[in-house]
Amino acid sequence: MAEISFPLPDLGEGLIEATVLEWLVSPGDQVERNQPLVEVETTKSAVELPSPQAGKVVRIHGGPGDRINVGEPLIVFEVPDNTAGIVGTVPKEEAPKRRVRLSAVLDED
Amino acid sequence: MSNSILEGETAGFRQTESAAGNVTVVMSMQQALNRALDEVLAENPKAVIFGEDCGRLGGVFRITDGLQSKHGENRVFDTPLAESGILGMSVGLAMAGFHPIPEVQFDGFAYPAINQIVCQIARMNYRSRGTLPMPITLRVPSFGGIRAPEHHGESLEALFAHVPGLKVVSPSNPHEAYHLLKYAATRPDPVIFMEPKSRYWQKGDVDAADGGSPEGAKVQREGRHLTLVAWGAMVARCLQVAELAAEDGIDIEVLDLRWLKPIDADALVASVRKTRRAVVVHEAPLTSGLGAEVAQLITQGCFDTLKAPVERVTGFDVPYPSGDLEDEYIPNIDRILFGIQRVLEYRRG
Repeated sequence: MAEISFPLPDLGEGLIEATVLEWLVSPGDQVERNQPLVEVETTKSAVELPSPQAGKVVRIHGGPGDRINVGEPLIVFEVPDNTAGIVGTVPKEEAPKRRVRLSAVLDED
Repeated sequence: MSNSILEGETAGFRQTESAAGNVTVVMSMQQALNRALDEVLAENPKAVIFGEDCGRLGGVFRITDGLQSKHGENRVFDTPLAESGILGMSVGLAMAGFHPIPEVQFDGFAYPAINQIVCQIARMNYRSRGTLPMPITLRVPSFGGIRAPEHHGESLEALFAHVPGLKVVSPSNPHEAYHLLKYAATRPDPVIFMEPKSRYWQKGDVDAADGGSPEGAKVQREGRHLTLVAWGAMVARCLQVAELAAEDGIDIEVLDLRWLKPIDADALVASVRKTRRAVVVHEAPLTSGLGAEVAQLITQGCFDTLKAPVERVTGFDVPYPSGDLEDEYIPNIDRILFGIQRVLEYRRG
């Protein structure tokens, strides 16, 4: 198991901080990639931040009303070692399946 | 590297000692590559690693995990999202005496860097009459099988192998990955190191002390009736096929080509002279794929003893499909078995 920290991303347009409105996940929750994590408000708008990855939530930083600077820790995930990167999935190791049978007369000439 | 999934070096790995006294460690290809890079950085002060997300993040596949914090930001660092720049910088670093180990994050991202690879890296040594060698080890997570989007599942070996001045290699398991990367990273020539990304997570025995020869092909399974030739991720599939074929009384040899440029023609010929039948398997499209080169080398060396024309079981002549369709594209067990059956039942007219 490894812990991966996700900092508050740059939400664009020169914004340097955001205020937490509501957490949509809690420590202990198993989240999927792109699942909404938290609603934050910037000086421009309120936005939901999607999860950058799947994993179990270990810690969340800041409660409703707290300001978080861009780049500061927002949430920490615990992910199994056997996990995919940002793109793609880990292939399942399955017992080989076949439909084709071989038949041959192997003359040893 | 407190956040490292590869933390602890051997701490979490199961170790066993062989009869010869060698210690083998069970690890994934991710971990084997990570360790190889760690050792290369420690052994060669001129080695530098860089690419998109290679530094702080440790790579999208965790291959460079922990290396920046251990070896410093001057040895392992992030680059802009600009493959032409990554490879162009490699040329300059190599000219200045470094051994660059750049990463192109995914196979399909190599296309923007083709000019630097083909026009500079591959020929600078030739162009400069040997005064500007290009000791560059270009790591490319390659091939398909992880349900990724476009440009994340392609097989570029035939493109690279066609370019004079480049060497191309692909490991098939953690043991090969460790030894081939360490070897590639000490070569005075540019080496394209194609990592089979669908095999990153599978674990296997790594004997760090004894890798055997890092050059040429390697027989991964001996057999009498037919040789399956493969590289990268297809080696594991061919080994599965060989086990299934054994149920039908067909004894298959699996030759892991490893080096795709130069190809070990002697090993190909030696194997097929014994088995007299060959099928070559690759993920890349059929037409002008490396299977054609392999088939010709076998035909040239074994024409008088071949029982049947060499068969190719490959991807199709289409752009690499999206993840949902890749099982239909990548040669599967049944398609490989069909290829074997075609060879087995061939009769001279």
